[in-house]
Amino acid sequence: MVIDSAMIWEWVIKSVAILIFCTAGFAYTTLYERKVLARMQVRWGPNRAGPRGILQPVADGIKLIFKEELIPAKADKLIFVIAPVITVIPALIITGVVPWGPDITIGGRTIHLYLANINVAVLYIMSITSISVYGITLAGWSSNNKYATLGGLRSTAQMISYELALGLAFVGPILLAGSMSLQDIVAAQAKSVPFILLQPLGAVIYMIAVIAEVNRAPFDMPEAEQELTAGYHTEYSGMKFALFFMAEYIKMIAVSTIGATLFLGGYLGPFLNVAPWLGPVYLIGKVAILLYGLIWLRATLPRIRYDRLMAFGWKVLFPLALLNVVLTAAGITLFGGK
Amino acid sequence: MSDQSAVVGTVTEVFPDWFSPDSRPGYAGYIVPSERMREAAGYLKNRKHFDMLTSVTSADYFPEDRIEMVYHFRRSTGGEPLRIKCFLSRVESQIDSLVDVFPGAELQEREVWDLMGVRFTGHPDLRRILTWEGFAGHPLRKDWKEPFFEDEIKPYKSRWPEGKFIRAEEKNPLGDNLCFPPGFDPESWVPDKDEILYKSMTRVAKAGEDGMDSDTIIVNLGPQHPSTHGVFRMVARLDGETVVDLKPVMGYLHRNHEKIGERNTFLGNMPFTDRLDYICSMSNNFAYALAVEKLLNIAPPERAEYIRVIMAELTRIVNHLVANGFLMNDLGAFFTPVLYSLEEREFILDFFEAASGSRMMCNYYRFGGVVRDLDENMMSMLKAILERLPRKMDELEKYLIGSEIVRIRSEGVGILTPEAAIANSATGPLLRASGVPYDLRRADPYSIYDRFDFDVCVRYHGDIYDRFMLRIDEIRQSIRILKQAVRDMPSGPVLTGKPQYQVRVPAGEAYGRVEGPKGELGFYLVSNGKTNPARYHVRAPTFINLTSLAGMSRGNKVADVVTILGSIDIVLGEVDR
Repeated sequence: MVIDSAMIWEWVIKSVAILIFCTAGFAYTTLYERKVLARMQVRWGPNRAGPRGILQPVADGIKLIFKEELIPAKADKLIFVIAPVITVIPALIITGVVPWGPDITIGGRTIHLYLANINVAVLYIMSITSISVYGITLAGWSSNNKYATLGGLRSTAQMISYELALGLAFVGPILLAGSMSLQDIVAAQAKSVPFILLQPLGAVIYMIAVIAEVNRAPFDMPEAEQELTAGYHTEYSGMKFALFFMAEYIKMIAVSTIGATLFLGGYLGPFLNVAPWLGPVYLIGKVAILLYGLIWLRATLPRIRYDRLMAFGWKVLFPLALLNVVLTAAGITLFGGK
Repeated sequence: MSDQSAVVGTVTEVFPDWFSPDSRPGYAGYIVPSERMREAAGYLKNRKHFDMLTSVTSADYFPEDRIEMVYHFRRSTGGEPLRIKCFLSRVESQIDSLVDVFPGAELQEREVWDLMGVRFTGHPDLRRILTWEGFAGHPLRKDWKEPFFEDEIKPYKSRWPEGKFIRAEEKNPLGDNLCFPPGFDPESWVPDKDEILYKSMTRVAKAGEDGMDSDTIIVNLGPQHPSTHGVFRMVARLDGETVVDLKPVMGYLHRNHEKIGERNTFLGNMPFTDRLDYICSMSNNFAYALAVEKLLNIAPPERAEYIRVIMAELTRIVNHLVANGFLMNDLGAFFTPVLYSLEEREFILDFFEAASGSRMMCNYYRFGGVVRDLDENMMSMLKAILERLPRKMDELEKYLIGSEIVRIRSEGVGILTPEAAIANSATGPLLRASGVPYDLRRADPYSIYDRFDFDVCVRYHGDIYDRFMLRIDEIRQSIRILKQAVRDMPSGPVLTGKPQYQVRVPAGEAYGRVEGPKGELGFYLVSNGKTNPARYHVRAPTFINLTSLAGMSRGNKVADVVTILGSIDIVLGEVDR
């Protein structure tokens, strides 16, 4: 590969595009969530700021920026400030390896619709998502608040018990595609069918594990409002709070994107060879469907108790994920993979 | 039927001769020498099967040197209460605590100590409960005067008769109008009371077992907390996430309802009772009206009785809908069940608004009837509610009962045994979910409940799930009662006599109680023939139900504690009074 200035510009533009997609996506995911929740709860949801409430995220953002930022007197100040950053950066960079569409040609130059095609993309995702738990734990610890500490501890325990199942859920598509690169996995699905049809159990385990991973209801232990007021971000206010909030929603988008790529065929869809720009549209549509699922669960399910959650993770999800790997491997050996 | 004959009529048992009947006109019950009260309580419990101590209160007869302790005992098998009194000197004001005989006396005795200054010897934790520790004096004593004191009774002279608005507090510059106990300096005061509270809690050392020295932490859940349903505080000692011990701390919303009630006129207290349990104001009105009617010795006309029952049962439905909805919220269901519950509540509130002019603070009952009649329009509203509600209840049940997570989190959690429930003086759904079929509407019928065909709901496991289900059962029974009441309602007047602002209440005492949605709601009134009650005591059901909280919470996870509290269904307006 020749690295010329055009290529560097391409990377910069793509990075900025992904960042904008994540942050704007975050803003409008909050609106999407509030609207969907409202409709499920026989009410209207935000409809004052702008037509149909479309400027609500802007208003929220402005409010949060102008809020006073408090740092508790006995908090560990450096860690207290760094913790939201540690949480939000991994969330922003996860999607760097996800392909957005097929290659397109602009002005004789082939442009890949992905930022990076690394051959261990799945490992990259696993490791990056694991980093954000440090942010949560450090936030809980540095706040010097009992609720926050309990939230941080819960978060650590929860991540450990769910990451194993999550990792094993990745193994299914990897085995089927024979590669860890997300491009190859999408290409493999283009040749056969979306992997959710071959890996229904794996897909379900993936979705359950990522709910725990992004701390969403019914697994929102670390920030359980009813018990721990707000869990690890009890003491945070203003933009620091907004960063945690942002991290949660961006991670929601990220795991939905990855889930769509692994199990729903990513950017694949009809008429792609005619109009390659449909790829991102398909991907966003699939992400919206998965996000809807996450919101739906939040609107309908009560929270599982912490110890039950751990038991569920270790005693149900982990063995099932192992079983899924064994079955997939056996199936590939017997009927031939790829 | 006067109150006196009612009580004396039922209790025909032979008591030892130190139980002397209270023979003052208008009074009833028995008087026991104060030094034998503990013995008397044990005797009533073990020999006469009065196993529930429903109410502990006191009344100050100031010019005389006498404070009366008033105890109401009940049988969990039903029947009218037995009233036992002890006369104490205002100076000494000391009596044996009943906590070791009736654990349900714990919070009530603390309340009496706090507000009336009666010292209970042998009480395990005799601290102030509703007022704060820097409070001077005991406010329910008749010679206690607040800093803004103007007048003994309302309406105050400064605002009467033609709207003069010079309040006494305006004459007091800030700083001069606070009073503290002697030797108390608010500037140098450090709340060491909390340290005493923390030290009073059980501490479990776990050293050695697994080679690790682990310690417990104290977590204050509240007073500002999303799940305490107001400004309620639970001090929990946690071992990891397991609750080792827990103490309820209340009084953050205290406004001395009873003292204000003693200044108000009898009728002026009617809207004031709305503010106790603001979710079920109608049933508060009901209990207060019953108590005053006992003093007045009048009965409401037929139609008014039916209207009263309709309103009380609708209130029960409203309360149970709200309680169950917020219990789901405490389980972590993000507001969806609440909003569906509130949707149903809206229709009933609309009906209340049509009938009384107000949605929540209804102020609808009057002594000897109700304030306004129901017209055809309102009856068709009611019929529409009765048409819709059963369907909606089916829907609610279908979606919530089938939920795995609801069952996992509520079954077998926060168990209250029937013995403990009776001993802790629990009433209402909390008691019935523990397998004690005790419902005042059947156990000691009031109004016209003996005419209706309905079941006393009871569930037997005493856990959160049973309390939840019991409320749903009760809503169905209330719908049954409502249908019968709508069918049988006669026409006629809705008020005995003509409406009057200043009722003349003869001297005497009365205890009026209803099976409120949250438990036995009672009003103990003493009248001395003046325009305002000489003693106005509220037997708040949720306040007394909180006695069971610590026992139910021990050994459970911190997440369960908030659901246990939600399943007791407290309203802080009533707990703190």
